[in-house]
Amino acid sequence: MANEALKLDNVKKNFAGTEIIRGLNLSVAKNERHAVIGPNGAGKSTAYNLITGRYQVSSGKVFLNGEDITNLEPYEVKRKGLSRSFQITNIFPKMSVFENVRCSLLWAMGYKYSFWKLVGNQTALNEDAEKIIEELNLKNRRDTLAGVLSYAEQRALEIGITIAGGSEVILLDEPTAGMSVSETEYIVGLIRKVTEGKTLLVVEHDMGVVFDLADRISVLVYGEIIATGTPTEVKENQAVQEAYLGAAMEEH
Amino acid sequence: MQKSVFTSALPWIFAAAILIVLPFIFTGGGSITIMNQIGITIVLAMSYNMLLGQGGMLSFGHAVYMGIGGFVAVHVMNIVENEYLWLPLPFLPLVGGLVGLGFATIVGSFSTRKAGTVFAMISLGIGELIAACCIIITVFFGGEEGISGDRTMAPPTFGIEFISQKEVYFLIAFWVLLSIFVMYLFTQTPVGKMANAVRDNPERAEFVGYSQRWVRYVSFCGAGFFAGVAGALFAINYEILTEQNLNTVMSFQVLLATYIGGVGFFLGPVFGAILFTILQTVIGLQTDLWALYTGIVFVLMVMFLPTGLTGLFAMHLIPLQLGRLGMLIKPYAKIFVPGLAFVVGAIALIELINHVRHHAEEQFMTLFWIEFDTTSFLPWALFLIMVAVGFYVSRAFAKEVAEAWGEATFVEGERR
Amino acid sequence: MDLFIINVIDGLIYGLLLFMLSSGLTLIFSMMGVLNLSHAAFYMLGAYLAYQISVYTGFWVGLIVAPILVTILGAAVERYGLRRVHQYGHVPELIFTFGLFFVIEELVQYIWGRSMVNYNSPESLDFIAFNLAGGSIPAYKVFMLLVSVGIFLALYYVLARTRVGMIIQAALSYPKTVEALGHNVPLVFMGVFGVGTGLAGLAGVIAGPSLTTFPGMAFLLGSIVFVCVVVGGLGSLFGAFVASLLIGWLQTFAASYNIGAADILIAFGYEYPKDVYYHPWRDLWTLTLPQIGPILPYILLILVLVFRPNGLFGKRET
Repeated sequence: MANEALKLDNVKKNFAGTEIIRGLNLSVAKNERHAVIGPNGAGKSTAYNLITGRYQVSSGKVFLNGEDITNLEPYEVKRKGLSRSFQITNIFPKMSVFENVRCSLLWAMGYKYSFWKLVGNQTALNEDAEKIIEELNLKNRRDTLAGVLSYAEQRALEIGITIAGGSEVILLDEPTAGMSVSETEYIVGLIRKVTEGKTLLVVEHDMGVVFDLADRISVLVYGEIIATGTPTEVKENQAVQEAYLGAAMEEH
Repeated sequence: MQKSVFTSALPWIFAAAILIVLPFIFTGGGSITIMNQIGITIVLAMSYNMLLGQGGMLSFGHAVYMGIGGFVAVHVMNIVENEYLWLPLPFLPLVGGLVGLGFATIVGSFSTRKAGTVFAMISLGIGELIAACCIIITVFFGGEEGISGDRTMAPPTFGIEFISQKEVYFLIAFWVLLSIFVMYLFTQTPVGKMANAVRDNPERAEFVGYSQRWVRYVSFCGAGFFAGVAGALFAINYEILTEQNLNTVMSFQVLLATYIGGVGFFLGPVFGAILFTILQTVIGLQTDLWALYTGIVFVLMVMFLPTGLTGLFAMHLIPLQLGRLGMLIKPYAKIFVPGLAFVVGAIALIELINHVRHHAEEQFMTLFWIEFDTTSFLPWALFLIMVAVGFYVSRAFAKEVAEAWGEATFVEGERR
Repeated sequence: MDLFIINVIDGLIYGLLLFMLSSGLTLIFSMMGVLNLSHAAFYMLGAYLAYQISVYTGFWVGLIVAPILVTILGAAVERYGLRRVHQYGHVPELIFTFGLFFVIEELVQYIWGRSMVNYNSPESLDFIAFNLAGGSIPAYKVFMLLVSVGIFLALYYVLARTRVGMIIQAALSYPKTVEALGHNVPLVFMGVFGVGTGLAGLAGVIAGPSLTTFPGMAFLLGSIVFVCVVVGGLGSLFGAFVASLLIGWLQTFAASYNIGAADILIAFGYEYPKDVYYHPWRDLWTLTLPQIGPILPYILLILVLVFRPNGLFGKRET
């Protein structure tokens, strides 16, 4: 299917003989907002790590826009146009917000390993970085070290680093984890704004966010997708009710 | 936002002016020699900081790149002397640099795969290997005597033959400024910025499209180049290189000078190199225990002041901006007296014991310009009291300093 | 053939000595993630302390007391030094132990002077244990062998059969989990660091008389020990064991077979230059195996790290 931005074909992963991902099939259409939900330990973060080359898959294939990207290095995956965020904030703590964003733009804007150009003189680069900071609402924190930002600001920067450079496919890993209601609203609004016209795959625990944001939802339980569909379909799916929503309801 | 060319050039013009004026201010016999040594150490320490401070690579064998650059520079000097090659002396550092770069491209191709412990161990292994080779490959390294040359035999540059130390000073000063300038420009390039990013978070750097290995490799090669420049400057200044210039002890001294200055700051190593060289040459003349003192100071600094001297200054910018620097003067003054008593007492005690153990045949010794009898009871008692009281009192005052510091830097609602 | 057997025994003794250091180093690394670069300095400290004690009370008291003193010192270094530096991260920790190495080395020279001290094996072991086809093995070497093997067995017993050993083994693989289970990890750290350095001290005590006790002894052995743990694979005790023996034999054999590069070159049909000391390839022509013996470990290190970056038996990423 030419319309597929991201496709996982029977991806499996063993850790020391235990199968954590047991044949994952997932297909995300272009410009779709796709959410993956599932209980803790279902393998959501592992799936992300397999897609982005952080872990090697045991078997199966990963395709990006029809191109095989299985087991490429993380930087190669990024160069092919897939970018991800992390569940645990993963930024450059001893650099300013501006430098964080600018570094994330460098490769995408073709600077590679050049040591003969001065970043200060690259007008387009600096303008783009400023634009992203403005979108993130971090303008007044531009020159603050990323390590001393508040948690919500760091999460915003995390998303900024991910979307900088205009990757076509964006993978977000629990972008609102550990946030207050107002902070969540801010982040969701931000995600909506910055992923406009892009393909989004998001792992999220907050069902409100998921049903609000996603066009389609996949439910991952014990390393397998047990259902995929629109929010309404998933809500009404019997297996999902039992495996996930039921359990989640009991918890609350 | 764009600063004018003149404003950004101003610090460099200022630095150049200082470098030109210095030899006319410090005209004493040894001062130019010391300044030359400082210049060489600055280039070496700055290049080391490209690795450790900006790239997050801890090397225990950085002296190797300087040493190899220096050895080749001496060989080239000899070739020029025999007139097989025409090369004016000011260009020799470029040769040294290219040699350092060449060696770094080879070693870096396998050592920069990982940072951290593995990188450190490879650097140590390479350092030991090359130091051991000094004895074996005598054609190149000259065995234990090393190899020597004569800088004055190069073709004159505008009539200058570099016979006097002062002429050499200007050559070194030129290369110091040029090296710092180029290294500064490097920090402003895409790969220089990414070096910081890889240092901070190598994994995330990969997820923004850069291979951490290649980013490290570029920095590593750059550091090798400038270490080689320092080596050639050393060759020009001393006209001899031996195994001692590239062994692990030398590498340790590079680390020491850089760390004392402050690895987190671009110009930190400059201050480190100045202080280290002055301590080495001045204190080294006064006592044969100088290595022990520097070692102890270094270990204490790693424990209590990991940001180095520059970091200490930078810390004080916060109370300065808040206009509260005055709050610190009193507690600092209070701790200074007992602190000084403790340090002086401890040094005196160490020197006294050393004297009694290894020079017992001489009854009198001179310390801090005072001669006294080592067999009498009085100096022992005095020094012991200084150490004990000094330690106790300064520890009590340290609490006050900490409190005053907390007050002077307190900002409401800021995460620190 | 006789020389061969004697070399096997000598290499084994040397290798086990290396293992006494590399095992402690590996334990410390596995637990704390710190490669203790001052490890060999504690080895030297053991030898010097034992020497000082033996001056007053004889060898055997030193054998017991010196390692205990080194253990206490090591634990104190962990408690008051390393634990503080730990908060700044791994690189400062490495720098700290590197600096400590030089401080201890300078301290030893400060206290005992710059020349070697007269630390000897006890008279009761001054006899030849047995003759082996022309060569003789002194009793002290047999004693060294026995102590090393004894330590090896004791270490194995503690790690494999006791509760403390279980905690340590668990902490090798899952340090965070062990902490979460409520064990006093800082105390375990201090203990492991103390025991690790104590082992190095013991190695120094028994090696001092046979390898001479002088200020350069730490440097001489230290870098070889790092080669052992890195070649074996950081964090792998078995790897450290194999690499220690390998390097022990490598160095012993290299030192005793006087094969020159000239022999090989002549065998390949090259002619020995008449005036070899002015020949441009003089270093190659005069090169002998004992000469390159000291650098063989480093060549091995570089080769291993190039082709197997995690070492021969290492699994852990560093």
